[in-house]
Amino acid sequence: MATETSQSDEARGPLQRWTQSAIENPERVYRALFYAAMVFFMFTTLFPFYWLLVLAITPEGRLLSGSYLPTIDLFGISATFPLPVPQGFNPQAFLEVFNQLPFHLYMLNSFALAISTTVIVLIIASLAGYVFGRLDFPGRAVLMLGILAISYFPPAAFVVPLFEAFTGRAAILIPFTDIPLFTPPRLLNSPGSMVMPFSALFMPLSIFILTTFYGQIPDGLEDAARVEGTTRLGALFRVIIPLSAPGVATAAVLTFIAVYNEYFFSSIMATSPSAENWSPIVGGILSFQTQYTTQYNLMAAASIIAVLPVVILVIVAQERIVSGLTAGALKE
Amino acid sequence: MANVKLEHVTKRYEDVTAVDDMNLDIDDGEFICLVGPSGCGKSTTMETIAGLTIPTDGEVHIGDREVTNLPPKDRGIAMVFQNIALFPHMDVYDNISFGLRLRDYPKDEIDRRVSRAADIVQLEGMLERMPDEMSGGQRQRVAIARAIVRQPDVFLMDEPLANLDAKLRVHMRTELQRLHKELDTTIIYVTHDQAEAMTMSDRIAVIDSGELQQIDPPLVCYNEPANLFVAGFIGSPSMNFVNGSVSNSMIETPNFSIEFDPATVDGVGPGDDVTVGIRPEDVYPAGEAEDLPSQTAPISARSDVLEPMGDEIFAYLLLGDGETSMSQEAATDDQLLMSIEPDSEMQEDEDVEVVLDRRKIHLFDSTTGAALTHGLVETTTGDEPGGTPAESDD
Repeated sequence: MATETSQSDEARGPLQRWTQSAIENPERVYRALFYAAMVFFMFTTLFPFYWLLVLAITPEGRLLSGSYLPTIDLFGISATFPLPVPQGFNPQAFLEVFNQLPFHLYMLNSFALAISTTVIVLIIASLAGYVFGRLDFPGRAVLMLGILAISYFPPAAFVVPLFEAFTGRAAILIPFTDIPLFTPPRLLNSPGSMVMPFSALFMPLSIFILTTFYGQIPDGLEDAARVEGTTRLGALFRVIIPLSAPGVATAAVLTFIAVYNEYFFSSIMATSPSAENWSPIVGGILSFQTQYTTQYNLMAAASIIAVLPVVILVIVAQERIVSGLTAGALKE
Repeated sequence: MANVKLEHVTKRYEDVTAVDDMNLDIDDGEFICLVGPSGCGKSTTMETIAGLTIPTDGEVHIGDREVTNLPPKDRGIAMVFQNIALFPHMDVYDNISFGLRLRDYPKDEIDRRVSRAADIVQLEGMLERMPDEMSGGQRQRVAIARAIVRQPDVFLMDEPLANLDAKLRVHMRTELQRLHKELDTTIIYVTHDQAEAMTMSDRIAVIDSGELQQIDPPLVCYNEPANLFVAGFIGSPSMNFVNGSVSNSMIETPNFSIEFDPATVDGVGPGDDVTVGIRPEDVYPAGEAEDLPSQTAPISARSDVLEPMGDEIFAYLLLGDGETSMSQEAATDDQLLMSIEPDSEMQEDEDVEVVLDRRKIHLFDSTTGAALTHGLVETTTGDEPGGTPAESDD
C-alpha cells in the first residue's frame, strides 16, 4: 500500500485517479449526485405536463395516426428524435374546451368546493389545534390518536353509508337499534354532500399541522393577550393564528389542493357529471370522453387549464410562507 | 387603584400544592414584592390574582369586587411578564395600544394615551419599531408602557427584570420606583431576587413551599425575620446559622458558648435545642469591637478564605477543628462568615478572635424554625417578651 500511494499520477489509470479525487473532494461527488437526482425528478415530474401539451396542440385528426417521435435526417444519418413532438399546431383546443362544455362552470364548482372546505377546515382545525396544542386535559393523547386512526380509514369505507344518507330517503338510526334519530335532507348533487365529507376527511391533517404550530407559541404571549383584554378565543385569532401564519398557510394550501383535485366522492355525490350537479373539474375533463369518441386533445387542454390555478396558488403561497417566517422582522 | 385581598387561596395540581392557604391583604397604592426561591408558588399566587389560574380554594378580591372566577380581562389589572411577551407581529404602537383597541377607545384618545405612556417610559420616536429591532431594556419599557396605558387598578409584574443584564436591571429598578411614585398604583411584584425586593417594595411577602412566611416592610424582614427560612433568604450573603442547646445560663454550640438567661425569652427553657443566627456584618474582630455596648465572649477561629468586595471583605472563618467547607447550607456549625472593613489587616489562614453583637443575635426554634427572639439582652435587663427587637430597648 505504501508503494501505491507514492506512485506518480501517470502510473495510475484514469479510474484510479478519479476515485482518488473523489475521496479527497467528496463535495464534488455529492453535488454531482444532487444534480443527477434533480434532473431525474424534474424529468419524471415535468414530462407528463409536456406530454399533455403535445397532445393538446396536436390537431384532432392526427391524434391517433402517425408517430409523435419524428425521424430526423441529419447529414445523411437518420435517427429517431428522443422526445415526442406535436403533430401539427392547433391552439384552438384551449378555446374548444369552453365551447363544447361549460368547462368554466366545472372549474367554478371546484373552486367553490375547495374554498368552502378550506374555510371550514381552517376554522374547526384551529379550534382543535388550540385545544390539542395549548391545553392539558385528561384523554388528550387518546383523542389525538382517535383522529389519527380515522384519518387512516379508506374514504371508500364512508362512501356507501354517506350516499345512503344523502339521498334523503333513509333515516339515521341510533347504532345497533331501530330507533330513528333524524332523516337528513336530500343533499346529492349539492355542495353539502361534498363539502361535508371533504371537511371530515382532510381535517385530521390540518389539525396535526396547526396543533404543532399553535403549541409552539409561548404561553406568555397568550397570557399577555388575555390580560390585555381578549378572551381565549380572541387570543387565538389575534395573536396565535397571526404568529402561526406559515402553518395556517400550509394547512390551507394542502386542503385546497386536495379538494380541488378530488374525484372519488364528487363523482358519486354528483349523480351525473354535469356542471349543474356540482361536478368538479375531473368530471368535466372526463365528459370529453363519450361512448363513441375520446377527444384526447381537449382532455389534455382542459387538464392544463385546470392545473394553472394550483400552480399560481402554490407560487403565491410559497412567498406567503416565507414572509410568514420573517413576519417578526419586517413591518407589514 | 384598588386594594387586593387574597383569602385562603389554595392552588393544588394533581400531586403538588403550589399555593397553600395564602392570605394577603395589600393596600391601595402599595408596592409589594412576592419573593421566594424558584418553585415556591409566588408566580402561581400572582397568576391567581391575574386570573390566568383559577384557585382550587379561596377567594381573590380586587377593590370591592370578588374576582375569583372572572377572566383576566375583567379584573382591571395589567401585567408585565418575565419573558416580556410583546406581540412580535405588531409594532410598538400596536403593542401598547392593543388593550385600548380591544376596548374600542376612540382613535385620538388612544393616540393621546399611547404618547403619554411612551413619554413616561422614554420611548418617544420608537413607536414604529418592531419588537425584534429593540434592545432588551427597550422591549421591557414597551411592556411597561403597554401595562400603564390602560390605567389599571393593579399592576402585576412577574420578574420583569429577570432577563436584563445587571446594569440595566439596576437602572430599571429605579425607573420602576419612580413610576410607582408617579402613578401611585398598587403594584404586586414577583421576584426571586431578594435585593430587588429589599430596595423597591413597601412590604415584602416571603413565600416558601406555597406558604406565606412573613409579610412586613423590608427592614423588618431583615432585622426581625419570622423564621429560619426568612432569615436565610433575606440578606446577602445570608445569615450564619449554628446549632446550639440551651442550658441554665448559656447557649452551648459545638465550638463556642454564649451567655444567655432562658428566663428572658418566652418559650425557651434549659435543654431546648435552638439555632443561633447572626448576620455577617454583626460579627467583629475582637480587637475592633471595644465600642460595642453588648458583645459575646471572644470566639477563637481560623480565617479561611477572604473575598474582597471593595467596600467590605467577606471572611470565611473555621471554628474549632472544622474541615474546610464551602457549603452555604444552613447551620454549618463549624463555619462563620463575617464582613470586615476593607482596610482590615486580616490574612488568610491565621488565628483570629471574633465577637458577636449580642443585640443582633437571633434565636430560632430548631424543630419548627420559628423565631424566638431577635437580640439577646444582658442577663440583668430582666424580662423581655420574645420577638421584640432588642436594639429598640437598648
